[in-house]
Order: sequence, then C-alpha cells, then structure tokens
Amino acid sequence: MKILLIEDDREAASYLMQALDEAGHVTHHAADGESGYAMASGMDYDVLIIDRMLPRRDGLSIVESLRAEDDQTPVLILSALGEVDDRVTGLRAGGDDYLTKPYAFTELLARVEVLARRSSPSEAATNYSVGGLSLDRLSRKVERDGETILLQPREFRLLEYLMKNAGKVVTRTMLLENVWDYHFDPQTNVIDVHMSRLRSKIDKGHASPLLHTVRGAGYMIRD
Amino acid sequence: MSRFAQVWRTSTVRLTATFIAIFIVFAILLMAFIGWQSSIQIQRQQTDDIDREVRQFQRIEANQGIRALAFAVGRLSSNPGPGIYFLGDASGLYLLGNVTDVPAEVLIDPGIYTFDYERPDPLGAGPPGPDGPPKPRGGVAVVRSIELDNGMRLVVGRDVVERRGYSAIILQSFLVGVVGIILFSLIAGGITARRVLRRIDTIQQTSTKIMSGNLSERVPVTRRNDEFDALATNLNAMLDRIEKLLQGLKEVTDNVAHDLKTPLTRLRNQAEAALRDNATEDTRERALASVIGESDRLIQTFNALLMIARAEAGAPSGALTEIDVSSIVADVAELYGPVAEDDGIEIVSAIAEGVTLNANRELIGQAMVNLLENAIKYAKPEDGGPGKIAVELERANDWVRIVVADNGPGIPAADRERVLERFVRLEKAGLSLAPVLVWRSSTPWRACMAAVSNPGQRPRRASRAGASSQLARLARPPASALCLKNEHLSLAPAIYPSFFV
Repeated sequence: MKILLIEDDREAASYLMQALDEAGHVTHHAADGESGYAMASGMDYDVLIIDRMLPRRDGLSIVESLRAEDDQTPVLILSALGEVDDRVTGLRAGGDDYLTKPYAFTELLARVEVLARRSSPSEAATNYSVGGLSLDRLSRKVERDGETILLQPREFRLLEYLMKNAGKVVTRTMLLENVWDYHFDPQTNVIDVHMSRLRSKIDKGHASPLLHTVRGAGYMIRD
Repeated sequence: MSRFAQVWRTSTVRLTATFIAIFIVFAILLMAFIGWQSSIQIQRQQTDDIDREVRQFQRIEANQGIRALAFAVGRLSSNPGPGIYFLGDASGLYLLGNVTDVPAEVLIDPGIYTFDYERPDPLGAGPPGPDGPPKPRGGVAVVRSIELDNGMRLVVGRDVVERRGYSAIILQSFLVGVVGIILFSLIAGGITARRVLRRIDTIQQTSTKIMSGNLSERVPVTRRNDEFDALATNLNAMLDRIEKLLQGLKEVTDNVAHDLKTPLTRLRNQAEAALRDNATEDTRERALASVIGESDRLIQTFNALLMIARAEAGAPSGALTEIDVSSIVADVAELYGPVAEDDGIEIVSAIAEGVTLNANRELIGQAMVNLLENAIKYAKPEDGGPGKIAVELERANDWVRIVVADNGPGIPAADRERVLERFVRLEKAGLSLAPVLVWRSSTPWRACMAAVSNPGQRPRRASRAGASSQLARLARPPASALCLKNEHLSLAPAIYPSFFV
C-alpha cells in the first residue's frame, strides 16, 4: 500500500515510516503543509496520514482542498486535539478517520488498513462471506455452513463491521467507535465480553474458528 | 495632615461641600426675597400712616380752621417719634414743624418725596457734644407734601432710618444663620466622611492583608446591616469561594501529582530493570510491554484531567445538540449488560423512551459508563446475595432523571461528604458509590444523573442541606472524575430511587 505521511515532527515521522515499512507499506513523507499538499495532489496514494497542526499550511485545509478537487483518497487525521468538537471539525473537513495523539502504532496501522479497504468497491456490498460464514445486510440474516445463527441487533452490527473488514485487524476502540459510536476508552473489558459472546455464537461447535484475537491489537475475522 | 487631606478628598466631603454651596445660594435668594418683601411692606405702611395723618390734618383744617391745624402740627412736632412735620406759608417759608428746611421742589409740587433732613432736638437742646454746639438730628425722610386751600404748604413724613435698621436686623440674622449652617454642615460632613472612611479603611486593610497572602482574613460585618455590611458580606462570600477554589486547586495538584508520579515511577523502575546487565531477552520484552502499559495508563489519566479542565472551564457550547438521552442510557446499559452478567450481576432498566436533551452525547455517555463501571465493581451485597443494578431514566417536570443504583454496601457514612470532592479516591475496597449529578445545560431541559448505593438503607427525602451527605459522586479516578464538575453538574438531592427496598 502506498501511504503519504504529512507530519512535521521528524522523530515521530521516522518512527512511523519505519513501522509502516515493516508492516509492508511504502511510505512517503512531507514535513510541512505546502509540500505535503503538493505531493498529495501530484501523486496517487492509497491513504494519506495528515497531522492537523503543520507549518506553512494547516492539515485541515489540505484535506478541504483535496476534497474540493474531488480527490477521494482516504485521509486519517492525526491530532493532539482530542475533544468531541475537534473530532467533528476534522471529519467535517473531509477526513475519514480521526486519531488522537498519543496513539498505539497498532491502532494507527489497523485504521490505515481499514481506510484503504474502504476506498475499494466492496463498500457497497450487501453480502459478506468469510469461510462458511455469510451475512446478508438486507435480510439481516447470518448463516454458517447453511445453519442460521440468531444474533441480537448489536451483535449483528458487530459482526457486520468485522466482516466488512475481513482479514484486517480491528481494534477495540474502532469497534466502540463504529458499532456504539462512542469515542472514549472504557476502563473494563467491555468489548472483550461482547466479542466472546459473538464468538460463542459463531465459532462454537466448529473445528476452525473464524473470529481471532490479535494479541496487543484487537480482533480479526478470517478463514 | 495627610489624614485631613484624606478626609477632604473623600466623596462624602465633596458632596457635603456641594450641598452647602447650593444651600447658601438658596438661602441668600430666600433672605433677599424676604427682606425685599418686608421693606416694601414697611414702606407701604409708612406711606399709609403718612396719608392717614395728612387726611387728619385736612379734616382739622376744614372743620376747625387753620389755627387748629397749626396747633395740631405744633403738638405732633414736639413728640420725639419718627414723625416729620413742616408747615410753611404760600411762599414755602417755615412757619411751624420739627424740620426747618425742606427742599424747594417738595414745596412746589405736591407729592411724595424722599430727602435728607435735619431737625433740631424737639425738647430744646440735645446733650452738649464734647466740642461745639449739639449736633442736630437728621436722616432720610419719606414725605408727602400738599397745598392747603389757603395756599399754605403742609409736609408730613416719616424718618426711614428706622426702616433701614429693620433691614439691617434681617441681614444680620441671615448672616448668623448662614455661618451656622456652614459650620454645622462642615462638621456633619466631616463626621460622615470619617465614618465612611473608617468603614472603607477596614475593608481596605483586609484586602491588603489578603493581597499579601493571608486568605483567611475576612471583612468585619457590623450589626448595622447597612450597605457596607451588604458589601462586606458579599466580599466575604467571594473570599470563601476563592479560598475554596484555591484549596481545591491544591488538592487537585496533590492528587494529580500522585496519579502521575506513581505510574511514572513504575515506568522508570521497569525501564531500569530492563537495562540491568543480567536481564534476559524475555524479561526485557516483558519490561517493555509493561512500560507501554504504564504509558497508556498515564495517557488515560492525562486525558481525564484535560477533560475535567475543559468541562470546568465551561460547557463546550458547540458540542451541545439535541440528543436522545433515552437511547444513550439504553445503549450504555446494553453495552455493559454482558459484563455485569459475567460478574453475576443483573441490570434492571426502566428507561422512559424518547426523552431528548440539549447536551453533549459523548459526555453523557461517558458519565453513564463511569457510573455503570462503578456500580458493577461494587454491586456486591454484604450478605453474599446476587448483585443488582438499576438503571432508570424518567422525565420529572423539567428535569431528566437518570439513576444508576446498586445494592452494594454503599459508601461509609464518614466518606459521604468527602467523596463529593473532586478527585477523591476511596482507599477501602468494596464501596458502592452514590453519585447524584445534575447536568446543567442552557436549555429548559436539565438532566440529573443519580446513582444511589446501598438501597437497602433507603435514603430519606431529606432536606436540601441534609441530602448531600446521602449522596456521593463517582470517585474512581481518573475516568469517573469526568462528569463531576461543580459548574456543570451539581448535586440534586431531592431525587432518590426506591429500588430494592
């Protein structure tokens, strides 16, 4: 995946580039807003990671300009401003996701990979399937190997989100944000409990589990 | 001198001086008017007297003839009173009377005149002067002159020196009065100014002491209950608030230092341990993992602190939108349902539908999460029975009431007041927290969020003052400290659930 990182903190940038490189992504770096904007509009990237406060040009204005030019490259905004208002302005400017500093790299990687997937055409699919598990978004039906699984509405949304991002790591925060629409970290293992319930409904009695726990990162659904 | 200058500069003295000046102007106007009016009155009386006498003389002359008139004039002239009489022949030569010389124009044309006169002492010679002959009496006279039928001239008048004396008396008393008024006003003004100055001085001294750092000083309040006392009371209330705020700040600083230093120390220890010479690859890896864990906890603490600071600075008005509280409360209850169930705790919800509120969804959600996490932690009855949590939402008049109650042992009575303070950490385990929080928003709708612990001990519908001791706010730092802002959330004593009773 080709990623452009616009970040003025060189230390943070070099750490991120190295880590993204290890994760198998090609990363370009711009240290200020102007050159970042020039690179973003001049080349084709899969994901843009843009710091909000940049020298010479504000991160949000880069996103706004790109969107005004009908450039729909997914954008992840990084910011030290983590309030609800800040998040709302960031997303309103055209950002696809908003991550507050400081963050865990696993969180950033998971979000970047999910963002890249978002731009692909499977977004509009009404049907997801992973292994023997299939989910129909219209009839809200879930089956595994032909057997219907009954899910609570929230469990359905949880599974839907996991399957939409099948093969990708999904963090607990991402689940809380996308399934429950809350942007804070709960203190307890509240997401884990929900996942273990979902897992017992999906994987119980099957030889090969589909729902995997990725240690130190989150969850993933795959064959 | 400086004290005098100080008194002189006070607004009271200036005000007094202004009033004295205004008063004097009016007094002068009044006195002048009175003097003028009375002199007119006296003059009129004199001319009336003169006219009456003239008519009398005319009557005497008409009835009894010229000799009787001359006799009457001669008799009146010898009286020592203020009367002035002159009888002259047709050519104006003196015949009779107590003045011998009358200006010619008075005799030529009959009418009223004023002129200077001289007259010999009516009883012969006056007391002999030290040198020379006795001085004749003289003065200013108002007279009426007439021509009698036989051509003789009669002049009847009054000395006006008496009238002048009367005006002098008025003027004199006026001056005495004005001087008295000025003196009295000055004294009264000075006293008032000194009194005001003294009251102000005490306030000033207190504030100076406070400025120099002694915040426990208070402005003395007298029993007079006047405007200075009202001011002093207000100032004292303000000082109380400032003192409390400073104390709160100190407590917060202490607690923050504690909350941040502890993980920082652990962080440092772990990093040190990883660097030790005999550390294996495995221990290093574990040390690094726990370093990350510790920094995450630090970040969480820090975020919570920021949130508190934000919320205390004022509600983020931009983030207030019309939200469906019912669904938030239901969502959070549902989110924590499985967690509670795993702990053997049952969540019973009674949530009214469609209750909306102008508020910040994230903050209410977070507050609910804090309340529920605490309730789950502490819903463990002492008798070992199953834990229960009640989540309740209802609309009561213009309030939205959110209650999270558990059947745990509750907060020890001794800690109930304390737990309402900011950043309180209850050291003993197994406490249920009973926060009652009110969400204050700018709209007619307000929400009250309540969690009452130990429902077995049913809280009375206590008076406002007594009630707060029944309540406590969430005290698990850092996350639960979020919604406990004095400014946004205040205690709402009147609201208790009667669950599990």
